[in-house]
Amino acid sequence: MLLQQFVNGLSLGAVYAVFAVGFTLVFGVLNVLNLSQGAVFMWGAYVGLEVMRTLHLPLAAAMAVALLAAGLLGVLSEWIVFRPLQRRGAHRWMGMVGSLALARILIGAAQEVFGTQVVRYPDGAVIGAAVDLWGVRVQGLQVVALAVALVLVLALGALLRLTNFGRVIRTVAFSETVARLVGAPVGRVRVATFFVSGALAGGAGVLWSLLFQSVSPFMGETVLLKGLTVLILGGLGNVAGALAGGLLLGLVEVGSVVAVGAGYRDAVGFGLVLLILLTRPTGLFSSREAKRA
Amino acid sequence: MIDLYYAYENVIDLCLLNAVLAFACLLLLGVNLLSLATGGLMALGAYLSIWLTMQKGWSFGPALLAATLLGSLAAAGLGALVLRLRGDYFAMATLAFTEVVRILTLNWDSVTGGALGVFGIPKLTETWQLAALLLLVVYLVWAIRNSAIGDRMRAVAEDELAVTASGHDVARLKRALFTASGAIAGLGGALAAHLNMFVAPGDFGFLRSMDAVLAPVLGGVWNLFGAAIGAAILTLLPELLRFSAQWREILIGAVTLLAVLFLPTGVASLPRRLLRGAHPGRIA
Repeated sequence: MLLQQFVNGLSLGAVYAVFAVGFTLVFGVLNVLNLSQGAVFMWGAYVGLEVMRTLHLPLAAAMAVALLAAGLLGVLSEWIVFRPLQRRGAHRWMGMVGSLALARILIGAAQEVFGTQVVRYPDGAVIGAAVDLWGVRVQGLQVVALAVALVLVLALGALLRLTNFGRVIRTVAFSETVARLVGAPVGRVRVATFFVSGALAGGAGVLWSLLFQSVSPFMGETVLLKGLTVLILGGLGNVAGALAGGLLLGLVEVGSVVAVGAGYRDAVGFGLVLLILLTRPTGLFSSREAKRA
Repeated sequence: MIDLYYAYENVIDLCLLNAVLAFACLLLLGVNLLSLATGGLMALGAYLSIWLTMQKGWSFGPALLAATLLGSLAAAGLGALVLRLRGDYFAMATLAFTEVVRILTLNWDSVTGGALGVFGIPKLTETWQLAALLLLVVYLVWAIRNSAIGDRMRAVAEDELAVTASGHDVARLKRALFTASGAIAGLGGALAAHLNMFVAPGDFGFLRSMDAVLAPVLGGVWNLFGAAIGAAILTLLPELLRFSAQWREILIGAVTLLAVLFLPTGVASLPRRLLRGAHPGRIA
């Protein structure tokens, strides 16, 4: 029973982690909070769904198209919100307000295009298989979600740590001025960061709608709030922290359903955030935030 | 004129109420605090006042007073815990407070009616009360801005460290401002609850808090009427765009985005800018 909840919590946490890693990446590199991520998550879920339903492509292809489309939406937020604001040297609140406005546009557009009813992925998309491991029922879908999450996050880690482009991204994260001085293509790095972050949000959207079998224009708001929770748990801008924080949040939420009932599930994450901020004002796994402040 | 008032009474009330809440956030924005606690504090005031008027037989005045007190006490307590957090961490901690309150109200059925909400709340809030409150709040903000406290607030917004280093108690200033804004939010919540005859936990969540902050940012933080103009725009726009729910969202988003992009010092700066013919990009 306990092990079963552990598996459920882990697969839920994996989806949170994918979303939060994209969220925290933009924060870490560019020091802005992109509140349109929840809407990008929702669009990723819809694009994946439409690709499967109308083009009858397999799940992997739908996932790829959703990643691409959501990545482009991420780039859109850079082009029409963050780049103009940064050029002007606007206050960071403006970025939050502007990206929230963009989220509103995207949610309205989704209602117009896809309707407001809750829809679900076609039956063929759901991996029905399940295995019993030491008395624990593990659904194929949960394994896929966890595996995809790990692959996406590890690929990002490899990009950041091992490639030349990753070094450039980390230079921009250290200081945009320094990056410009050493001749790094800051504009391209920004666009790439927003693309990767949007793609991760879209990927999380597909995984989420497979796990919970529901897609609606309003699905982004809850996840945005969860993403903010994980952002704090892991420390703002900390990619590894976001992975750990996401898994932790998934486990704690599932655990709380068992312990105190489903009604308080969404409060537990935020209660945890309050507790952690009171004891560690820059998050659970933070190290560099102290330097920045 | 009278006909006009009756036709649009509800919209006018909402405009006034949202303007009051916007000023509560404006006080905090003045010292670089972006608070998302508005929704949670409003919920406390709203549910306390409903409980008092509907179940305890209190009259409206004392219930409002109790809601104001609860709002300020809750803000003082929350402030003592979270005001030392910086920047985005403060915003997130206040958001966490709002969400925790929302979920507690969702689950405390006997007082809050759970997810279904409370029906049949007596409509006790009058337009003149909201208007008087708005005038009072505007006067307070004006008086604070033109006092020594206002100078200190501007200095904190510029460079908090320098103000602390020169021996001013910045923490106390922030606590006082946060408590004051909590009192306004608690009172605003009580007035909001007795305006619509119906209240549900979803009324006081993330979006409510965000709208309250959005209004002054949209209208202009350093203009006294910026917050009121921002609140009026955010309240009227949805009413004007009633013809289609989807296009309403798209257009509100678009208008907000355009204002953020092209009016860096807020909508309130528009008339002056038009008169001067200044280039939008110059004032940053």
